[in-house]
Amino acid sequence: METERHAATYYREPLPQHVRSLLGREDTGDVRLSVRADLDLAGSYRDQWVCVTTDELLLIDPDSEEVAFHALKRLRELRVENLVTTGILTAKIGRTRTILARFSNTHIRRFSGFVKLVEKLEHGEALTDTDIRGDQQEMYCPRCGRRYPDPHRQVCPRCLDKGSLFRRVLSYLPRYRRAILLILLCITASSLMRLFVPFLGGRILFDQVLSPGGRYYGRIAFVILLMIGSQLASMLLQIGYGRTNARVAAQVFFDLKTDIFTAMQRLSLSFFSRKQTGGLITRVNWDALQLQFFFIDGAPYFLVNSLTILGVGTVMMLLNWKLALMVFVPAPLIVYAVKKLFPRLWALFSRLFRRRSMLTSLVNDTLSGVRVVKAFGKEEQEVERFLPVNQGLYSAEVSARRLAATVFPLFLFIMQIGGLIVWAYGGRQVTGGSLSFGTLMTFVGYLALLYGPLQFMTMIVDWWTSCMNAAQRVFEVIDAQPEVRESGNPVRLPRMAAAVTLKGVSFGYEPNKPVLHDIDLEVRPGEMIGLVGHTGAGKSTLTNLVTRLYDVEDGEILIDGVNVKEIATADLRSQVGIVLQETYLFSGTVAENIAYARPDADRSEIIAAARAANAHDFIVGKPDGYDTLLGKKGADLSVGERQRIAVARALLMDPRILIFDEATSSVDSETEQKIQQAIERMIRGRTTFAIAHRLSTLRRADRLVVLEKGRIVEAGPHAELMERKGVYHKMVTKEREALRVIAVGAS
Amino acid sequence: MTKKGIQFRLIQPGEADFQKTRGGFLSLKLGGEKRYPRVHLYRSFPLSEAGRYISVRDEEDAEIGIIEDLAAFPQKTVRLLEEELERRYFTPVIEEIRSLKQEFGYTYWEVGTDSGICRFTVKVGDNTARVLSGTDLLIFDVDGNRFELPSYESLESRHLKIVETLL
Repeated sequence: METERHAATYYREPLPQHVRSLLGREDTGDVRLSVRADLDLAGSYRDQWVCVTTDELLLIDPDSEEVAFHALKRLRELRVENLVTTGILTAKIGRTRTILARFSNTHIRRFSGFVKLVEKLEHGEALTDTDIRGDQQEMYCPRCGRRYPDPHRQVCPRCLDKGSLFRRVLSYLPRYRRAILLILLCITASSLMRLFVPFLGGRILFDQVLSPGGRYYGRIAFVILLMIGSQLASMLLQIGYGRTNARVAAQVFFDLKTDIFTAMQRLSLSFFSRKQTGGLITRVNWDALQLQFFFIDGAPYFLVNSLTILGVGTVMMLLNWKLALMVFVPAPLIVYAVKKLFPRLWALFSRLFRRRSMLTSLVNDTLSGVRVVKAFGKEEQEVERFLPVNQGLYSAEVSARRLAATVFPLFLFIMQIGGLIVWAYGGRQVTGGSLSFGTLMTFVGYLALLYGPLQFMTMIVDWWTSCMNAAQRVFEVIDAQPEVRESGNPVRLPRMAAAVTLKGVSFGYEPNKPVLHDIDLEVRPGEMIGLVGHTGAGKSTLTNLVTRLYDVEDGEILIDGVNVKEIATADLRSQVGIVLQETYLFSGTVAENIAYARPDADRSEIIAAARAANAHDFIVGKPDGYDTLLGKKGADLSVGERQRIAVARALLMDPRILIFDEATSSVDSETEQKIQQAIERMIRGRTTFAIAHRLSTLRRADRLVVLEKGRIVEAGPHAELMERKGVYHKMVTKEREALRVIAVGAS
Repeated sequence: MTKKGIQFRLIQPGEADFQKTRGGFLSLKLGGEKRYPRVHLYRSFPLSEAGRYISVRDEEDAEIGIIEDLAAFPQKTVRLLEEELERRYFTPVIEEIRSLKQEFGYTYWEVGTDSGICRFTVKVGDNTARVLSGTDLLIFDVDGNRFELPSYESLESRHLKIVETLL
């Protein structure tokens, strides 16, 4: 549960008056830490306070006014336990483990940090200001005090308004100032030209040309030619701006897509694993397209039509202001209707887009899993799963379109009332002699000019809402901060000795689902560590952390004594290499794939790497050799071949630290030996973390680290662990399948 | 996998003695001899069958056995067990909506629940609401807290409109 209070000091929250008086002291100078739990022990939302002084831990219940004191010396093993939706703070008091406090998920991180600080105090260490402040980013918007709902995006939805979204979209335009100016000129001129026509066709034609005594009596051809001329000029100007606009719009579209793609590349791994990738791709294409419509069709037409409306209004006012007013009588009605229906339409279209993407995901899901569907004979079930979702989309579509279909004719009708009024009032004036017939015809002509733009204006709602929705999603991607960021003052480490240390590392991909607990490991430069354990034990997670694909919050990882968070990203990435089980090869040639880490490597280096990986022979054996195209359009390689190319890639990179996730697929023994040899060459001399499956790899490792449920249970060389006859021994001898240990020949 | 590995042990009311420890946890004495100073309770079907197939685990999270149906136990024990389960599966039931606003992809709630008054934020989209049986909803806020909203279809229409955007 949240409060809107601005928690400036994370671990020393200001105590309310009532609580301070309960403590029996006004001066709370000796209260080192104070945090608030939002639940009481019975599970009701009643704030409880947990305070720590120099030698005591206090639990304060403001309502019942109970204060419990515990000497810090008597509290052992203070810790936070994650339950599904809550956390509890527990400690051993004497021999009994006791629950001290309860809190909702919102406060778990805070209490975990709190426990660490208490430990610091117990060890006699002083707490610094940074400690008290916590390294949490600002959680609350400084303007309105509301919480940033997305912890990774410091954007306050309330303080962000649609106007600023629109301005931001417009900010892509200034680069093309000149072209836009040209467009604006053309649009204005074109509209003006068109305004001429009803004037010519009404007042001039009827009053001056066709009426006897008129100034241009009989000169019909002249007037018609003028009319044609205006229309022609208008059309040419329109073509002119259309063509310019096409170029500008495409350019803006290009800029936007580049920004999106760059942003996506910059984002951390967690962003991609969180949102469905399908959704992301749709987002980039579809939303950028929406915005393109805005630039090509929407904005120019909006301008044209606004100008037309303005121009028509002005001319009408000049001709006969009373009649002009009559035309605009229905205007307030329109405004009212728009204000009421606008937000509703926005909401309905949002819902429509959401349901549409839900359906797309479902279909993608089912179709990619088609093998399973058919194997289990569940085709009918899948159709039944599809039906309600499709139904949902259908109803959303119907409601949205229905409203749109109601709004539009409604507006039309309102405008037509205007026309009828003109005929009625105008007609009376003509018969009364106060208005010339020609002027009335001009008015009618202008009304016709008005209808088009007004109709468009009602459609604007449609276009505008979908565009702003799209813009919001696009900017969300562009704005998303990568979780793993380079530090402000990165430490350069151009040539790592590659000693790796993990201290007290705990980590979970999600806040209350820890995967690794308290990992302590020291690895010497050049040492090979074999990570062993059942699936889900945390092996891959550990390697993700060492390479800083994810950041740890508890504990630290050091390379050569420097925290990985401080190391310059370029140095980290260029000296830490990864060889995974699933070899990902890009669309490109074999040579390009091998040289991925170092595109400027010359041919001899590529060949040398391939030779060391025992890949050279099969590559040269292919018709296109190193120029063979890989990827979707390219050659299909066998698993063993892919592995060796991945090894070659790693060799060429020549990293100081190597993460190696051994593939478990079995290949024929001849290939197996080649692969083993390649791996051996790859590992030599580097600090290696290998997720090992092959017995030969396990033996080769300097030390094995056995992980179980995220903890290190055994560590040591193979021979030693086998002698110990513990967990490792059991895994290797009895449960080969668990490890999928591959023994080749007589190993 | 041996047959033994597939069968699970049912814990019968007669043989199980659950007690609350001084520290506020749950202990179990099974069959008169085996003592577990602290046990964890997990619901196998937290959303569809909250009172059945409760997995009883020891401190290392190894399963001791399964309670097929809580209702088979004496009232006092049931209360004790449910108190423990509530701790893990704390899901306040929303009784009234005091304020509900939607802005820019997030909904801001202030509600009265069976555990007191509470404020939370829910993101629109991203599966933050799930239909339980009938018209009961399970809502997940940005911190992973959960709330139950019974009979959501009988909400006031201005609230219903917002809730529907979560589905």
